[in-house]
Amino acid sequence: MEFNIDKAMRERLEETRERGRREIRPIGLEADRLGRPIPPDDPYFAMLIARGEGRSRWPGPAGRPKTAGTGGANKSSARATRSVVMHLLLAEESAYWDRGVGVANPGPGMPEPNVISMGTDEQKERFLSRFLEPDKPRWACFAMTEPGAGSDVAGIRTLARKDGDGWILNGAKCFIGNASRSDWILVWATVDPEAGRAGHRAFVVEHGTPGLGGFKIEKKMGLKAYESTSFTLEDCRVPAGNLLGGEERYQSRAGFKSAMGTFNAGRPMIAANSVGIGRAALDEALTFARDHDLLGDPRVRDRLEQSARKLRQARLLYLRAGWMVDAGKPNVLEASMSKAIAATIAADVTALGMEMLGGVGARGDHLIEKLYRDVKAMDIVEGTGQIQRVIMGRHLVQLPRD
Amino acid sequence: MFDLSPGEDLELLVDTARSFAQDELAPRVRDAESAREVDAEVRAAFRQIGFAGLELPEALGGAALGPVARALVNEELAAADAGAALALDPLGPAQYALAELGGEEALKEFALPLLDADGARALLVTRSECRLHDASSDRVTGRVPWVPADRVDLLVVLAPDGAFAIREGIEVETLRGSGLRAAGASELRFDGAPVAARWTGAAPATRALARARLYVSGLLVGTLRQAAEFSRSYALERTAFGRPIAHHQALAFLLVDMYAAVDGARLLLHEAAWRAERGSGGEALAASAFVEAVEVSRFVGPNGVQVLGGHGFMQDYPVEKYMRESRALGLVLGGVDAAIEEAGRALCAEEAPVSLSFAEGP
Ligand SMILES: Cc1cc2nc3c(=O)[nH]c(=O)nc-3n(C[C@H](O)[C@H](O)[C@H](O)COP(=O)(O)OP(=O)(O)OC[C@H]3O[C@@H](n4cnc5c(N)ncnc54)[C@H](O)[C@@H]3O)c2cc1C
Repeated sequence: MEFNIDKAMRERLEETRERGRREIRPIGLEADRLGRPIPPDDPYFAMLIARGEGRSRWPGPAGRPKTAGTGGANKSSARATRSVVMHLLLAEESAYWDRGVGVANPGPGMPEPNVISMGTDEQKERFLSRFLEPDKPRWACFAMTEPGAGSDVAGIRTLARKDGDGWILNGAKCFIGNASRSDWILVWATVDPEAGRAGHRAFVVEHGTPGLGGFKIEKKMGLKAYESTSFTLEDCRVPAGNLLGGEERYQSRAGFKSAMGTFNAGRPMIAANSVGIGRAALDEALTFARDHDLLGDPRVRDRLEQSARKLRQARLLYLRAGWMVDAGKPNVLEASMSKAIAATIAADVTALGMEMLGGVGARGDHLIEKLYRDVKAMDIVEGTGQIQRVIMGRHLVQLPRD
Repeated sequence: MFDLSPGEDLELLVDTARSFAQDELAPRVRDAESAREVDAEVRAAFRQIGFAGLELPEALGGAALGPVARALVNEELAAADAGAALALDPLGPAQYALAELGGEEALKEFALPLLDADGARALLVTRSECRLHDASSDRVTGRVPWVPADRVDLLVVLAPDGAFAIREGIEVETLRGSGLRAAGASELRFDGAPVAARWTGAAPATRALARARLYVSGLLVGTLRQAAEFSRSYALERTAFGRPIAHHQALAFLLVDMYAAVDGARLLLHEAAWRAERGSGGEALAASAFVEAVEVSRFVGPNGVQVLGGHGFMQDYPVEKYMRESRALGLVLGGVDAAIEEAGRALCAEEAPVSLSFAEGP
């Protein structure tokens, strides 16, 4: 296992650090203070787009010239050298400054890997080309969770019914990141609730489709910079061409497998985010302790030592999981492990930080307190800590599925 | 750049260590424990493979391997029998104090004579483990309450600013011992024992302690790996309430967490060993790696017994031994508190943002 952190990588980390300090942290703190997501028309997002961010990883239709504008050319060559490990380290650094702002950033986001791996060429073109050179901030989102089914994804009840040359969707989704501002939503539905995962279908539902509505932005404990939104589908009619991958895709279990693939790739990412948040908490605690002459207290030093050691361990766990992807090795066990362990380590570090700051943490106006709230979601999203252990259990002790 | 892949040479070494451990040590675990020594044939085999001089310079006939190799070999040996691993190594962590503080001269004078002496043991203790009346003169009086040995050919006492060696006048009074009995267990007493050599230097002393901690961490990781692995396979065989106990979620989660804890400790150890191999500056990492291994031992050791229930408590199964041995390994070198303290102080000297990073290392 070898991580090459070359000069280019170091520079990109440094660049993220600079942007974090100047842009990400302040805008995240403001969203937290105001208790609302960053509005879609915030100049920050427009600036990101102008800078060349928020773009699709999809290379574009075959034969498309690679140099479409100078910014684009730079970006695509940077993309070519991007390894998973590098991506993870950047995600850690970005989350250090504010994990919520990172999720709020425009782009095809979470459903993009599904569209790339499952979509037909025509669908990639239709749904991703607008993200190649976006004219304005654009989002897409991934909608699996429902009020009645989260961990148990097989239990989703959003119904898809064939109707002539299209589909009719009925159901409700909740906690979906960036949903109300998304160009389109990847909605997971079932054609047969009794069939479990085999009944699942993924539909791209365009914003403004009649029947898609009832958007409600939830009030969250933390991560306020981005919206987590519930919405409903009422006799929402979707053209047949929006069934991701076309009907043949779903003859096997591949449809569901692909969704899980998304989660799989995301787990080390959540672990990296966790380490970033935890590291921010460690720095707050260390700085506070120094400023208040607490470093002479062995208990304070012990807490700091424990925090640093555990975070380093969490980082090694996610790097290993990411390195395995780069090396083409199956990483399901290691990905789950990194996510399960890093999320709780980071939560512990923020809690220890609160202890060190004492009443100052309880005032509710210190970064450490925000980190303590933000980090909790890391053990919930993309498969809870328990679900990661179920997955590891399947690998290690053949834990049965029921 | 940070590299955790052992590479071909080290993989070969690991294979050799694993075969030796599984073929020679594993079948004799309880025998070695009750005899308080490793079988003479096994000792000869160990020397013959060249494990005794693993880290000695080539000029002294050693294999000149580093901390990464040591971590890997110790894990394999301890996965069979950590006590035997200590008993078999004539130099043990004492060689680090000799090498760092006294250099090749000291190794030649104090280590080489032990290499081929069957059953010889050099021991390293930290100054804090000793109850000495006066450690500054050329004669030493006092005692060491416990060392994992029944025989001491060389004792190196490591202080933060140097070390001294004693070869004669060591009275050995055997104890029952808690864990690591294959290596023995004794109290050492000195009454005006002559100091054979004395070295000073804070930086080399710190490096020596770091290396010693990596050595012990390797043994801990091996012991704990085996504890986790043994209980995992047992839990797949044993049934209760109509299914393998591993398929009750409470136990599945416990087993998974034990496995993950060992993985985490190993990653920290390898990172620290990798750093140590590249020179100084990684002492706090080594302290941290030791702390983690000890913490994991408090979780994995007792739970290894728990997974087997009442059977785990009986000496028919090895898990109770892993619980005792991993506990004992955490008590050497002045224990875990000193390591926490050192890693903590190193961290307190840093300015935020703390990088935590190997990436910025040499
Ligand atoms: C901030 C945030 C953002 C999110 N963003 C998205 C998004 O963009 N898109 C999306 O689709 N979803 C999103 N989610 C939803 C998230 O994926 C789910 O909340 C999560 O999967 C858990 O599902 P649940 O809330 O229904 O809890 P439940 O599944 O009801 O779980 C409740 C508890 O039971 C435990 N549990 C469940 N099953 C088992 C089992 N078999 N064994 C042991 N314990 C079990 C769980 O671990 C948990 O502790 C988001 C959630 C949050 C908090």
